[in-house]
Amino acid sequence: MTAPAPTSAPRLPFDRPNPLDLAPLLGRLREQGPIALVTTPAGDPAWLVTAYDEAREVLGDRRFGKAHPAPETASKISSAAIQSGPTGSFEDEEREHARMRKVLTPAFSAPRMRRLSGRIEELTERCLDEMEHARARDPHTAVNLHDLLSFPLPVQVICELLGVPASDRDLLRDWSERIGVLDGGGDAQRAMADFQTYMGRLAATKRDRPGQDVVTDILAVQAEDPSFTEDDMTRLAAGLLFAGHETTSARIDMGTLFLLSDPARRDRFAADPEGLVQSTVEEILRITAPGGLGLMRYAREDARVGAVTVARGDAVLVAINAANRDGEAFADPDAFAPERTPNAHLAFGHGGHYCIGNALARTEMRIAFTALFRRFPGLRLEVDPRTLREHSERLTGGVSTVPVLW
Amino acid sequence: MRVEADRARCVASGQCVMTAPEVFDQSEEDGKVVVLDATPAPPVRGRARQAAAMCPGAAISVPQEPAEPLEPADR
Repeated sequence: MTAPAPTSAPRLPFDRPNPLDLAPLLGRLREQGPIALVTTPAGDPAWLVTAYDEAREVLGDRRFGKAHPAPETASKISSAAIQSGPTGSFEDEEREHARMRKVLTPAFSAPRMRRLSGRIEELTERCLDEMEHARARDPHTAVNLHDLLSFPLPVQVICELLGVPASDRDLLRDWSERIGVLDGGGDAQRAMADFQTYMGRLAATKRDRPGQDVVTDILAVQAEDPSFTEDDMTRLAAGLLFAGHETTSARIDMGTLFLLSDPARRDRFAADPEGLVQSTVEEILRITAPGGLGLMRYAREDARVGAVTVARGDAVLVAINAANRDGEAFADPDAFAPERTPNAHLAFGHGGHYCIGNALARTEMRIAFTALFRRFPGLRLEVDPRTLREHSERLTGGVSTVPVLW
Repeated sequence: MRVEADRARCVASGQCVMTAPEVFDQSEEDGKVVVLDATPAPPVRGRARQAAAMCPGAAISVPQEPAEPLEPADR
């Protein structure tokens, strides 16, 4: 296959009609082949993988990493301050990745998340209480689920896990929003610098007085590894807080939009939340599509994907949202069908970089959806979800209003 | 027809424990997979199959049960 000139390749993020449906161009590209040349938001060339099999193959292949052999020549993805270009050392990538996984795996393990369930349930019930209070205060106005549940719940949980004071919540929210703006440029960099300075100061207090939290765990590993720099440590901690702010929140919002966009679907779930929540959450993870880019990789060596040869150093974006709606992998892919088995979606990626927070996200989502529909079985949307705007200007996408009534 | 897990391929994601906690656990030490029940009955076996399909390290196998019809090539 001959690659078209980069300038003629479509530029990400593609226009999408509403928060429920994918950008039509993703589907058209997938029909033409599993991989296509595109232009990143930063204006550089990259490959975009849209088919399920090839997406899974690239994510599970060690020839695709996050570092670059010559970072200064690498395609930039965006001017956000996170996941915008290559990270880490090309030579030491495997070792650095193994170190990161080793620190974080115990802290985010499934058994640990199960032990946290009671606390997450407590925080969820408080969020639902707030929703009731808001409704009682102003019975004629819809309640914004995003502000009262989807956003605060994951934030409180990640702050408690990392040992970050809840009183600093507004600062963290501001930085998290700014570092993920795709054309954020200097402002995103300043927010990241402030975020890292904050994490550095927090780390200093925890070195004096260790806590039972993930930042303390990271510091214990850093103390024994001279190559684990202060910049590595503060970037890792900021990255975890960012992920805790932006990802699960979007899934709760968008999952609610899917559940409420069809009253029969809502009634089925509300009739037995406990029994249906596991498969419903997996289907929400498959079908919701926050963010318009994909998972970023750089080829460590030449590699064949479909009919093209991806050259060493080329940027590859794996469009997991498109892969999760690939009709070759999922029957009737645009239908919301919790009963599909197996449902091997790629919402958390695949392979060695599989999301370390997947057990946390799954636990939060299961608890949030169960409690929400137990408390408000007649929950409904005030507006047509197709009129809501997705934040395509942000790395993690998502919506900021989910107006609900009951 | 036992459920098997390959620790060498396991990436310690915990996905299997979240999907079928009756069948899988994670070791406290390195987070890698531990099989708790190698011969689960349905419907737990179905969830073990989902865990195998989703496993990010392709480390889990849940073979067909003897009662389940085999493909002609397997006879």
